Amino acid sequence: MITQVPHPVLEVHDLTVSYDQQPVLWNVDLSLPAGQLIGILGPNGAGKSTLIKSIMGLIPPTSGYIKIFDKALPEVRSRISYVPQRESVDWNFPASVLDVVVMGTYGKLGLFRRPGKKEVQVAQEALEQVGMTAFANRQISELSGGQQQRVFIARALAQQADLYLMDEPFAGVDMATETAIFQLLQDMARAGKTVLVVHHDIHSAMNFFEWVIMLNLHLVASGPKDKVMTEELLRKTYGGKLNLLTQVTDLIRKQDFNPLKS
Amino acid sequence: MTLDTNAFLIILTGALIAISCGFLGVFLLLRKMSMTGDAISHAVLPGIVIGFFVSGSQRSLEVIIGAGLLGILSTLMIDALRKKAKVQLDASIGITFTLLFAIGIILINLFAYKVDLDQECVLYGEIAYLPIDLWITPSGINLGPRITWLAGLNFFLVTGFVYLLFKELSLTSFDEHFSSAIGIPAKGVNLALMSMVSYTTVSSFESVGAILVVALLVVPPSTAYLWTKSLIPLLRLTGALGILIAILGYYLAYWIDSSIAGMMVAVAGAFFFGSALIKGNWPLRLRGTSGTSPAFDS
Repeated sequence: MITQVPHPVLEVHDLTVSYDQQPVLWNVDLSLPAGQLIGILGPNGAGKSTLIKSIMGLIPPTSGYIKIFDKALPEVRSRISYVPQRESVDWNFPASVLDVVVMGTYGKLGLFRRPGKKEVQVAQEALEQVGMTAFANRQISELSGGQQQRVFIARALAQQADLYLMDEPFAGVDMATETAIFQLLQDMARAGKTVLVVHHDIHSAMNFFEWVIMLNLHLVASGPKDKVMTEELLRKTYGGKLNLLTQVTDLIRKQDFNPLKS
Repeated sequence: MTLDTNAFLIILTGALIAISCGFLGVFLLLRKMSMTGDAISHAVLPGIVIGFFVSGSQRSLEVIIGAGLLGILSTLMIDALRKKAKVQLDASIGITFTLLFAIGIILINLFAYKVDLDQECVLYGEIAYLPIDLWITPSGINLGPRITWLAGLNFFLVTGFVYLLFKELSLTSFDEHFSSAIGIPAKGVNLALMSMVSYTTVSSFESVGAILVVALLVVPPSTAYLWTKSLIPLLRLTGALGILIAILGYYLAYWIDSSIAGMMVAVAGAFFFGSALIKGNWPLRLRGTSGTSPAFDS
């Protein structure tokens, strides 16, 4: 079930990526529409992060190519933003929240130029969007996991890009923050930005994404949510692991069991 | 205990070197690469010998270029061992610098046994001889100690480097992936930093020696890091420590008549242990009442 679109924002063509001759992504071929909130689903080790990293040019592909806004990556780099996994950096780094968010503007500044008032203002607006204004001068080592995640999203926002690639922005984030961030991402999509999110939870994926990519080394599906979120495709993506999940859902349905109430 | 011209020149030179090393050391510390500085300071030896062999002089540009090239080579070698051969970072540092240093020793014994280039001079250096090693122009004008000029040039270049590339250095130290993603070449910035470390190491060899350069790269930034958690104050405090270390190191060495460079590092070490005692996370009964409790945050 792979839906291709005309005039795609992002086109991945026959992409194969391998680490040490061991392929981790096989023959992925997809195209994505503009202005949508897009989820990448798949089990651990399915190549979700690898797909995002190869789109960003951080991992060289073994074969295939990627076109963004119908151009090669170096020509459109300033229009693409990237949110790495939160664990990929050391949060003891001596910097304030504002310092980190201002880093989002560095790409446009170019060599030797320093961030000025304009860049700080852009960063402050980004902080406001994620509800972190009160933490602007806080050291990043003093933040909770959810706050760190919001700082990373603010840094991406400060980049003022058109395409956002986010690697597991909801890892270790509580439900309230997750919903708040999802609403922010939906607003961005409504404003015409394309947001691509690596995600784990199938239930919230159902609620928030408009377009879903399912990966398990191969591309299982890519298309509008209503068409691809079927039990058959989910089973194909997650294999036996989904059984446990459906069992739990069945149990909840049968017994009207709500862990929040009891 | 007086401040004559010689004392002033020695302190000035020591402070310039300590600040140059400290500024670069801050970024090495933040990249968790402090020991790479150690590796570079030893790995440049074959470059020095080859430069010396080519030019016939210990004080030539060829020596600095040779050392710089070897410094970059050792950085690339450490990186390749770690990423391609999957060797742990600490092991790949150990393998690289001991190998290159050994090649340097062999080269010295093969080619340079008749001249004044011995391991001691490279390893220990002596800042106290500085006032008698003057830079005299061909027309006979005395411009003052040569090593002070070298340290000044080094300080000027390091400060300019950190000032101009401040945003690139801090971003690549914090988040290499993000900087590559937005088009700031993390690898290029890293190589530039390592080249500056190599150059600084060589430039400081004659005065403080290879081992003590390493101490100046690692100890003052680590001490400052115990006191502050933001980058600009971290650099300032490191610089201030550099000056303090040079002054106290000189006078203490003068007082007990010992090695100035050695005393500078001993002073740096004393500052570090003092700071660690005050700021460290010791059990309450050892800490007294001045300790800070970690901030509670939800």
